[in-house]
Amino acid sequence: MIRVQEAPFDAGAEQQALLAGRTDIGAVVSFTGLVRDFNERPEVVALTLEHYPGMTESALEAIVEEARARWPLDAVSVIHRVGRLTPGDPIVLVVVASAHRRAAFEACDFIMDYLKTRAPFWKKEHASDADYWVSERHSDHSDARRWEA
Amino acid sequence: MSLTHLNARGEAHMVDVADKPESRREAAASGRIHMRPETLALLAEGGLPKGDVLATARIAGIQAAKRTHELIPLCHALALSKVAIDFRLDEAESCVEVTATCRLNGRTGVEMEALTAVSVACLTLYDMCKAVDKSMEIGAIRLETKSGGRSGDYRRDTGESRPAPIVTGEGLAGEVSLGSRCDIDSPCIRVKCLAELRERLGIGETSVPLDSLERQDVAGLKAALKALDPRFSRLDEGRVLCAVNQVMASDATPVTNEDEVAFFPPVTGG
Repeated sequence: MIRVQEAPFDAGAEQQALLAGRTDIGAVVSFTGLVRDFNERPEVVALTLEHYPGMTESALEAIVEEARARWPLDAVSVIHRVGRLTPGDPIVLVVVASAHRRAAFEACDFIMDYLKTRAPFWKKEHASDADYWVSERHSDHSDARRWEA
Repeated sequence: MSLTHLNARGEAHMVDVADKPESRREAAASGRIHMRPETLALLAEGGLPKGDVLATARIAGIQAAKRTHELIPLCHALALSKVAIDFRLDEAESCVEVTATCRLNGRTGVEMEALTAVSVACLTLYDMCKAVDKSMEIGAIRLETKSGGRSGDYRRDTGESRPAPIVTGEGLAGEVSLGSRCDIDSPCIRVKCLAELRERLGIGETSVPLDSLERQDVAGLKAALKALDPRFSRLDEGRVLCAVNQVMASDATPVTNEDEVAFFPPVTGG
């Protein structure tokens, strides 16, 4: 299940929905990304997330497909928010369920690494003194390359 | 305005289109099937007993478009050049939105084909899911857009414009749209600049006729854009990524009319 939305999400409710009626799942790993009040500058008051509708969804689907090909997964949910967000707001949710924990941990990690380097989202931060577009991070790319060995 | 399918005596007749000029016709229709959230979740997960629901409904929609003349009494048989069926799972509304686009070069419009494709795709979705949900409801089947032909272009007035890329409220520095819109008579490549690149160039969307490209690929498109407006020389500054029809592309990727080509900076989501 993949959603791109402006509205907030409830990570607990999403995880419950994913598990509802399932007794074959042995492990569920959930990651929530939040807006920090410091990033490239210390006083981030808000950020605006832009995306490329259409391509965003297909890019996320491709990432989830790739994860499903690498690990035996029972269910995957990815929710990414767009629009204006303020510090403390959840941005992204990845929930991965599998029969065993290792696959769930690794697949969740993998999906986030690929999402950060492949899904067409862009962040513009609004600090107290200026608005600026966030630059890409080399650490995100080296994280993503871990899965290419 | 009169009904073209009735003759002077008010009897139904098929309109003779032999003398109408051929033109490029396109129509898009949409419809929705509402279902229980659990059903939608099963559909999304591929957990329905009859198998791949969306693939089956897509084929059903395409078949239906081709056979519209067998169902609608006064409709002409058409040699469609394109039928595309798309599905969007809407969790918030708990429905599947079906859209169909039909195209041909011919003498008669393709809106009935698009509407029939949507209807049958919705019915097939019902058939594929009815084992788990009998309360599903099909609705809002309607024409969205139509182009070509004497009656001219039509676009449903939705009141709300769907947010194309979310444009940031702040710092929207001098965004300009260049060039003419693509239409049937002058097809072209649609170009978008996104996020920081849009603000750096001051250009959100433009269009370029394929004829103006020396090479029919992304590199050729960049050259044509630079000739059109010097601001596009900044496409060479820093890392600029490119997608053709929403798939990542490189300088050597071929482009053609009607393609959507987007340029954007490295992604920073998550």
